[in-house]
Amino acid sequence: MNIWERMLNIDRRWIFLSIGVVSIIPFLTKIGLPVSTTEEVEDIFTYIDSLGKENAIFISFDFDPGTQAENMPMGVAVMRHAFHNHVPVFLTAYTPLGHGMAGGALDYVTRPSTPGYYTSVDFDEWADIRNAGITDRDELEAAWEEAGNVLPDDSHGWVFEGRDFVYLGYAPLFHLVILGMTSSIETQYPSDAHDNPLSEMPILREHKSLREVDLAVTTSGSSACTAWVIYGREKIGLPVAFGVTAVSATDYYPYIQSGQIIGQMGGLRGAAEYEVLLQQNGITETTDKAFTGMDVQSADHLLIIFFIIMGNIAYFMGGFHRKKQLKGGR
Amino acid sequence: MKRTVPLMIVMVGGILMMVQYFIPHQYSQAVFDSYVSWAPIIAAFALILGVGSLTRVHAHKIRRKAENWQYSWAVLIPLYAMPVLAHIWPVSLSGGMDEPSIFHFLFMHIQVPIQATMFSMLAFYIASAAFRAFRAKSALATVLLLAAVIVMLGQVPIGDLIAKWFPQIGLWILRYPNLAAKRAIMLGVGFGILATNLKIIFGVERNWLGGAGK
Repeated sequence: MNIWERMLNIDRRWIFLSIGVVSIIPFLTKIGLPVSTTEEVEDIFTYIDSLGKENAIFISFDFDPGTQAENMPMGVAVMRHAFHNHVPVFLTAYTPLGHGMAGGALDYVTRPSTPGYYTSVDFDEWADIRNAGITDRDELEAAWEEAGNVLPDDSHGWVFEGRDFVYLGYAPLFHLVILGMTSSIETQYPSDAHDNPLSEMPILREHKSLREVDLAVTTSGSSACTAWVIYGREKIGLPVAFGVTAVSATDYYPYIQSGQIIGQMGGLRGAAEYEVLLQQNGITETTDKAFTGMDVQSADHLLIIFFIIMGNIAYFMGGFHRKKQLKGGR
Repeated sequence: MKRTVPLMIVMVGGILMMVQYFIPHQYSQAVFDSYVSWAPIIAAFALILGVGSLTRVHAHKIRRKAENWQYSWAVLIPLYAMPVLAHIWPVSLSGGMDEPSIFHFLFMHIQVPIQATMFSMLAFYIASAAFRAFRAKSALATVLLLAAVIVMLGQVPIGDLIAKWFPQIGLWILRYPNLAAKRAIMLGVGFGILATNLKIIFGVERNWLGGAGK
């Protein structure tokens, strides 16, 4: 067995070890390589940036925990952007596990230990103000602070459940739920994930169906995102944006060119681009997990390309391209 | 009768929903609303059927002590424990209602890490496969390999540092050759779905009936 054959038959555990080491080191060193932004992500950012308190968006967590490393930062970044501009947000999920993902994202954005968090006010907590007939976003915040509530110094602002966001979560046969929401959101979700009645929520009174919603951002690890195009975009013209995993991003470029979606965040890179745009526009002070993860991805991609090159060198130098079959490695 | 009735239901339902989509009238909307209300109820019965069937299969394996029968417990216990914890015992580990429940704890600390681990293992297998199988054996394979390397480098910040044109070429590959190929595939699949649906609606394709009525 010559050196090339030995190289091609290398124990795969060495390859696994090298990937493991290369993945861990950038997390510890935090290099912070710059991420440039692309038109596909900028279009989503610009669109959401043009919205205000009179508009509303859906952020749908259409993924399972398997792809949360890629999809979760997308949902978190868009939610932060919407909260900053006081754009009301509906949080939904295509799958039962996505329900937990949506709750996790909301929890992360409103948790005091998260840098640049938003202070969440539960639906019951501001019942008195609501019952007094104050539901306008600015008036509500003023009344809440007049009642003696003080925003913590490190918080980015208040978010009122039922006014700034509603956590709807998962409902069975979600493609039919999208269809149903084109007529009425409340018929599909009589109450939210915290058992608050939707009929009493100001967000629902102003946005009764998907026809009164300005955008649906679907963060998806499968083809579930296309349900929003098929049942939302094509039926009532709902603007849709995708946040998809890197492996499936290539599948959805036709939707961008045809104008069926306004933009796409592809993989961790797409999420990192959105975080960069948030930071560049003063919406957040720092970037977040996706940006940090890009260093790891850079190192891993370089290593995989190195493996491809070394594999080919060994293959051709060893003359294996003239032979029919190689011995299998471990 | 076993074949005719399901075929008629599918034909009437299929044509109705197809026609309804293109008629923006209140009666048409009423049909649609009624369907949207019915479908989840029917799906709920399918869920009962699915859980019942899964339970029967695994209970049978455990009773017979079939090969790897121990894993059947790993299927059955969480299958029933999670709904019970979610609906019947929605309290926290300390017994309070305000803190995250046991269901939430199990979801966040077992389900999430298990799925994340399964998916992250892909990176290790991709690296191994890249080393062993990604060969420039022919002209087409070389084109594929070069495109993959450019797109991979274009997708990460290090590509920017190596050469400014890496991301640009990578994006060009995604936006044009990739898009053209994807569109062709999607159109083919779309026409295939349309043809299959029409065959099912009009009773030409009957495999979905299984052996009913034979």
